[in-house]
Amino acid sequence: MREQRRKDAVWQFTTYVFILVMTLVMLVPLYWMIVAATLPQEQFIQFPPRLYPGTAFFENFAALQERTDFVRSIWNSVFIAVVYTVLSILLCSMAGFAFAKYEFRFKEPIFYLILATLVLPIQLLVIPLFLMMSQIDWTDTFRAIIIPWLANPIGIFLMRQNMKSIPDALLESARMDGATEFQIFYRIALPAMRSSIAALAIILFLFQWDLFLYPLVILETSANYTIPVALSGLEGTQRVYYDQIMVATSLAIIPLAILFLVLQKQFVSGILAGSLKE
Amino acid sequence: MMIGTGAAGAAALAGCIGTGDSEDDGNGGNGGNGGNGNGNGGNGDAPMADEIDGWGWDVAARSLQLTAEEYNAEHDATVNIEEFGREAMKDDLQTRLASGSGAPDVSMLEMIDGPSYIDTGSVLDISDRIEEAGVYDDFVPGVWDALSDDDGIYALPWDIGPTAVYYRRDVYDEHGLDADAIETWDDFIAEGEKLPDDVSMLNLPVDDLDGVWRYQFRQLGNNPFTDDGAVNIHNEDSVMIAETIKEVYDAGIAADLDGWSTAWFGAYESGDIASLPSAAWMEGTLRAELPSTAGNWGVYKIPAHEPGGPRASNWGGSSLMIPNQIDDAERNRAWDYIEWSLATEEMQLLMYDEFGLFPALETTYDDDTFDEELDFFGGQAARRVFADVAEDIPDYQFSEDTPEVTDAINTEFERMLRDDLDPEDAVVAAAETVAERTGRDLA
Repeated sequence: MREQRRKDAVWQFTTYVFILVMTLVMLVPLYWMIVAATLPQEQFIQFPPRLYPGTAFFENFAALQERTDFVRSIWNSVFIAVVYTVLSILLCSMAGFAFAKYEFRFKEPIFYLILATLVLPIQLLVIPLFLMMSQIDWTDTFRAIIIPWLANPIGIFLMRQNMKSIPDALLESARMDGATEFQIFYRIALPAMRSSIAALAIILFLFQWDLFLYPLVILETSANYTIPVALSGLEGTQRVYYDQIMVATSLAIIPLAILFLVLQKQFVSGILAGSLKE
Repeated sequence: MMIGTGAAGAAALAGCIGTGDSEDDGNGGNGGNGGNGNGNGGNGDAPMADEIDGWGWDVAARSLQLTAEEYNAEHDATVNIEEFGREAMKDDLQTRLASGSGAPDVSMLEMIDGPSYIDTGSVLDISDRIEEAGVYDDFVPGVWDALSDDDGIYALPWDIGPTAVYYRRDVYDEHGLDADAIETWDDFIAEGEKLPDDVSMLNLPVDDLDGVWRYQFRQLGNNPFTDDGAVNIHNEDSVMIAETIKEVYDAGIAADLDGWSTAWFGAYESGDIASLPSAAWMEGTLRAELPSTAGNWGVYKIPAHEPGGPRASNWGGSSLMIPNQIDDAERNRAWDYIEWSLATEEMQLLMYDEFGLFPALETTYDDDTFDEELDFFGGQAARRVFADVAEDIPDYQFSEDTPEVTDAINTEFERMLRDDLDPEDAVVAAAETVAERTGRDLA
């Protein structure tokens, strides 16, 4: 018994040390990013590097804001990502519900066709999408960034898998009580999916947040730039403004950190949901 | 204006977009028509658009803003210049060129990327306009190959990168090195061996040597492909270059740092590396990034491979181009602005003074600015060195397969240095790789 307990303790200790080391490996670049954001350019390129924060954060931020209206870009990115996430969740869960709970012709082929679009890289879609958007005069608008990506295959897949776990009997009894199909979806299916929706929200938000090539091509006026597009403008050929880039990237992770902290609990259980058959 | 690294990635994407869109061929056809259209448009009072857009990055964009201001003041027109990040602009521009709409009327084109843009057929042939303006001979001769194909010329040269070795005068003096004694790479090594162990003569990043190989290959008057398109990167000169690089490496006088990294800047700031073979555009970077080293720099021409051999080459450079997809009035205005910015001495010198873009316009080299004794270079008239080099730059033909050459040279040279392989085997292996990947013959 005691032998066993000691073994467990050693094992646990090793595990924690491992986790600690891995956490440090993950945190060091983040730490350096934040420190670098507070250093003037001369100190940033110093070797050996300075590893504790300086005082130049606000100067760097002012310089950044002068080159590109970064506050505006953060707002643009947040606006686009939030609207996109809400609309896409609605669409994906409706589609997922249909695929999970309804029978209709060509249901399987259509579903696999949607899944198959996952193999198309964004680079391949950019030119046709750009052409479409310029023909309907949507270039340089937020709707051109949001609408084409609303039907997200990963989202539809995730919602379908999770919706399958809703007992058919529950839906059937609701129907008996006279609920419309939309009420069933909205009042019964959707509330049961809270944790999956939280997980999906993070996935969708991240997808839109990281989108670069497409908004780069679509957005023309710098007042409309999203964060990645604005960041790309800071990179030249010779002089790279590391200090400003570090300020920008430090600021850019804040909305993500907030979102993740809020949804963290649901996110983990949402990703695990459906992974066990009971 | 360009740095060797990164270009490979961009050109690879160019290939990607090119093959992904069958409309490229259609654009190619339009290109021919456009060329004819211009000849007519160029005569007499051609209509000109009131407003055009131009794209560039970094100091190049700011230079264009400068000339656009002057242009707008003297003409009844508005030229708007937009500044981008380098890779971002290439991605955006290639998408718009490939899709046939939305491209800017004027945009910057790096010489190394010339063929990958020209081959898509989306760039306007401006050879008639160049001829009509009579400016062809005003530019240094070595620049045109990268901007032409068999049918025409597609861009007007802007800046170039005449090569030279930047060196830290104070470090050379402290350890008794004599910059004037360096004529060949053997001299360079001999002087470098005078340095103590903790000071390197130069930086030689062993996995990123394509830029070094390319400027030396051009220095000796070579092209990577023959006129028939066969791979020619394994000729005698290329072997000699590989041997030289290996000798420098084996002499133990080279540091191995990633270019443009924090450590790299730091080593030049502290004087831990004494010399930097590079090009005219490096001056601006050194001034901006290492202000504490002002006054301690000097330049000399890159060493020859044999006594009396050529010491001029080029590293980087860019041009301005017009896309096919815009209408005649826009083309006329775009050309008018390009000619004003790049083919007049006043504008070229203005951009050189303000932003350090070394003019490709040879007629500027008589100007006094080149003979100015610069404090940054300890009183040396460094710009005259670059101007002398510029006039002797040999022709060089980039191609859409340039990224393959870059890749093969980097791989094989790294192997040569790390595993102590024979230089001749290395260049032959690189040539075979390129031939295999591009379906070309070996010369």
